[in-house]
Amino acid sequence: MKSLRRFFARLASFTTRRVQDERLREEIQEHIALQTAENLRAGLSPVEARRQAMLKFGGVEAIKQDYRAKRGLPFIENVVQDVRFALRSLHRTPGLTAFVAITLALGIGMTSSTFSMVDGLIFRPYPVPHASNVVTLVSTTHDSPFDDFSYREYLDIRDKTKSYDGVVANADMEAVGFSAEAGATPRIKGGMMVSGNYFHVLGVEPRLGRGFREDEDQVPGRNPVVVLGPDFWRHEFDSDQSVLGKTVLLNGTKFTVIGVAPDSFPGMLTFGHPDFYMPLAMARVFSTNIQKNFFEDRDDRELRVQARLKRGTALEQARNELAVLAKNFEDEYPQVNRGRGAAVFTQFQARTIEDDNWKFGVVFLILALAVLLVACTNVAGVLLSRSRARAREIAVRLALGAGRLRLIRLLLTESLILAFLGGLAGIAIGYGVVEWFHSKESIVFATELPMAIPFHMDKRVLLACVALSVLSALLCGLAPALQSTRVDLVNALKSADVDVPGRKRLWGRNMLVVAQVSMSLMLLTASFLMARGFQHDLMEGHGFTKDHLLMTQFDPRIIQYDATQTQQFYKLLAERMRETPGVQSVSLTQNIPLGNDNFDGLTFVPDGFQMPPDRANFNSTMDTIDEGYFATMGIPILRGRAFLPSDTADSPRVAVVNEHFAKHYWPAGDAVGKHIHLDSSAGTPVEIVGIAQTIKSQNMESPTDFVYMPLAQHPVARMVLMLRSTGDPLQLVQPLKDVVRSLDPNLPMLQTRPYQDFYLNQAVRGPRIAIDLVGSMGLVGLLLAVAGLYGLVAYNVSRRTREIGIRIALGAASSNVLRLVLGKCLVLVGVGTAIGLAMGFALEQLMNSMLFDSGGVDIVAYAVVVPMMFLVTMLAAYVPARRATQIAPTQALRYE
Amino acid sequence: MANKQKTDVLQGTLALMVLKTLDVLGTLHGYGIARRIEQISGDLLSVNQGTLYPVLLKLEQEGAIESEWGASENNRRARFYRLTKEGRKQLQTETQGWEQTAAIIGRFFEAKAEDLS
Repeated sequence: MKSLRRFFARLASFTTRRVQDERLREEIQEHIALQTAENLRAGLSPVEARRQAMLKFGGVEAIKQDYRAKRGLPFIENVVQDVRFALRSLHRTPGLTAFVAITLALGIGMTSSTFSMVDGLIFRPYPVPHASNVVTLVSTTHDSPFDDFSYREYLDIRDKTKSYDGVVANADMEAVGFSAEAGATPRIKGGMMVSGNYFHVLGVEPRLGRGFREDEDQVPGRNPVVVLGPDFWRHEFDSDQSVLGKTVLLNGTKFTVIGVAPDSFPGMLTFGHPDFYMPLAMARVFSTNIQKNFFEDRDDRELRVQARLKRGTALEQARNELAVLAKNFEDEYPQVNRGRGAAVFTQFQARTIEDDNWKFGVVFLILALAVLLVACTNVAGVLLSRSRARAREIAVRLALGAGRLRLIRLLLTESLILAFLGGLAGIAIGYGVVEWFHSKESIVFATELPMAIPFHMDKRVLLACVALSVLSALLCGLAPALQSTRVDLVNALKSADVDVPGRKRLWGRNMLVVAQVSMSLMLLTASFLMARGFQHDLMEGHGFTKDHLLMTQFDPRIIQYDATQTQQFYKLLAERMRETPGVQSVSLTQNIPLGNDNFDGLTFVPDGFQMPPDRANFNSTMDTIDEGYFATMGIPILRGRAFLPSDTADSPRVAVVNEHFAKHYWPAGDAVGKHIHLDSSAGTPVEIVGIAQTIKSQNMESPTDFVYMPLAQHPVARMVLMLRSTGDPLQLVQPLKDVVRSLDPNLPMLQTRPYQDFYLNQAVRGPRIAIDLVGSMGLVGLLLAVAGLYGLVAYNVSRRTREIGIRIALGAASSNVLRLVLGKCLVLVGVGTAIGLAMGFALEQLMNSMLFDSGGVDIVAYAVVVPMMFLVTMLAAYVPARRATQIAPTQALRYE
Repeated sequence: MANKQKTDVLQGTLALMVLKTLDVLGTLHGYGIARRIEQISGDLLSVNQGTLYPVLLKLEQEGAIESEWGASENNRRARFYRLTKEGRKQLQTETQGWEQTAAIIGRFFEAKAEDLS
């Protein structure tokens, strides 16, 4: 209590210190006057009386000091003083200040923007209250650690587990035909089906209206209600408060708007921000697998299940509980659950296991931190040379009795201010980079659905910026501060050239240069490797042609077609387009190669294959296509035949497999004519009639097993039409529109564009973003290293001006001087290169394991990067070295 | 060296002396307090009267005393200090504490070998 009161008193007097100083002065005066009067009365002479009074009072300055220390807040006063002084001295050297701030800004900007990537992809909590309790429940198989659950399985999990306060489910965000009123042509929006308890369990309070009630998700098809996403409500309904109760059409069915989600809840997905949410019970209206019954089939796995862990329940407990449940499923439904387990993932696990994008983020973050380190070493170097210029000033301060700690604090204040300037500019750069990312969104996603890059300069990232600034201030300020306050006072005050005992000091600077060279070599290597990695993927080809193709996607469920109508539509569409002039061939496929959507999986048992004891069936990716596909895509059939019009729903089931698949299951014999059984060994037999050349269909990486099924025997609702044109594929857009309109004017065409366009976005322009980013990091690193090396050599030369002058006076040729100066640099760059190479190898291993599995060491990358590094750094050293040879001995020696 | 010892003792007890002085004599200016302490304590405070002022400031910040400007004997502006209610309380507790300590130390010094056996 007393000390608190004292603190406030001090705080108050901190602001009124001038008045207080005056008060003390007056009191002292009065005190001495009274004492003098007393002494006079005692019979002393006036002069002696005053002298005695002063003596008795004691050292006025010491008392003033003590008084001040007690009066105000000396710590804050000192800080204010330091800041003032630092600002003044920084102001005196604006060029240097700007250089340091910009250097740090580059490092901090790079790091903060990449941190926002990693944060957005992995760490940012779900936008719900108590997000850390939310776990993700997944089904697992031999082939997939992250599979979805079926509706029935979800209900069992929801009702039979005790570890959770609630279990919710959602389907993928999908394209939904939306019209605000009847009769309007539907537009494509992103809708997501969620369980009735979704908003309630997640703790999301709608900003308008209400969330779903559980009874609205009980009877299939009974409650057509919809909750709008905040952005959609703002743009589509102009933030209209009276939207509640309004009827909208989703895929042609009337839905009543019952609520609007709050701004704080853009959805639980990392990338997608659903435009609206519908109850699972309305699944018939939306794009579920038409070959399965969503509400009944236990193997129609389309739901992501999340749950809120009960307070005090350990994750381990929940895992065990779910494992037991999965075992029960296996026993109860061996047909569809054999070999299937389940897992409970935390947010971190779920995000890192589901998706690989975060790995790029982590690699970027490592590289950005390297840039920041290079920047810091650079600044440390600059501050070191600056402290040399100030050695005298510091020596004087020390000689006058300034504490070393106090001086270090002063110097650190300077670097803190520099770092904060850098941090501010760094935040600006970070904003720039994040904005640049957002400008690439259309390239990255290439979809009509509401997707966004989850990188933001939010509170968390800004906080990280501040932390980084402080950290870099310490990193680059501490060593110079320690060193420059450790001077030999006598020498420093005696002579202008303080650097006599320089060995130790130079060692520090040399370390800095080695660190810089190695870091920037690593950065350059990384950017080069990344560029080459993507290039490598592209050069290898994919096994199909990409030019002269027009693609467009249809989903007739959007306008309420049933299965028969759908197949009829596709049949007519293909027929009409085949007759259109300019069309060379026509095909339909469920998914395009290298597209955004995942291919379906196929569970099967191959004939005559010795099954391993621990599994009952295998999985492969598959595509549903029509008979024109292989010809249109230019995929050669190696053996057997492609699909024919004679493969109909009534004829025996057939399939084409890729070469990889054929070699996998029938390594010795011929796969053509063999059978696979769907789902289990008792399942429908399908004859393999042909083997297609293996193409890269899923991604750029290694080829996988692949099965093609004919559309006629394996009906699918959402298909992509692929047209091979004789001329420019865009010229087919109008004829195509006419044909579709003549078949059904209400059916929207999705993603109509030349396939090559799509491919370039996906395979070239997307990676390009990564290459640009890493490349600019490498460049920044190199520039900083060059500046650092230049600074070091220039510093050395200026330090040794006299020595070099003497050498020249004694007859050294300029080549000798050059060798003297450059030789040292060569050693430093050499050591830096060696360390950089080692780090480069390590990073390559990391990148190989995370991103491109090219294996081995990319010699070319090093063959380019290392000489380049040498050349540039030696050039940076040469310029000041050259200046050394031009030192005039007369001038250098007169220096003293 | 001797001076040093004196001031060391003073550091802890000066505040208490100031409080007691103000308690007995009422309102006083700095010089008055210094004189009074000097008179009672002999030459303990004869050097460094100035050390009194930081102590006065600390006590004022703690709220034990308060001060205002007034006119001194030779009619000049001087700062006068006065004990507050809180200061009186503080003086009481500190006096008690001091007496207790002094009593303990006193007994300790008076103790003879036979008392302890």
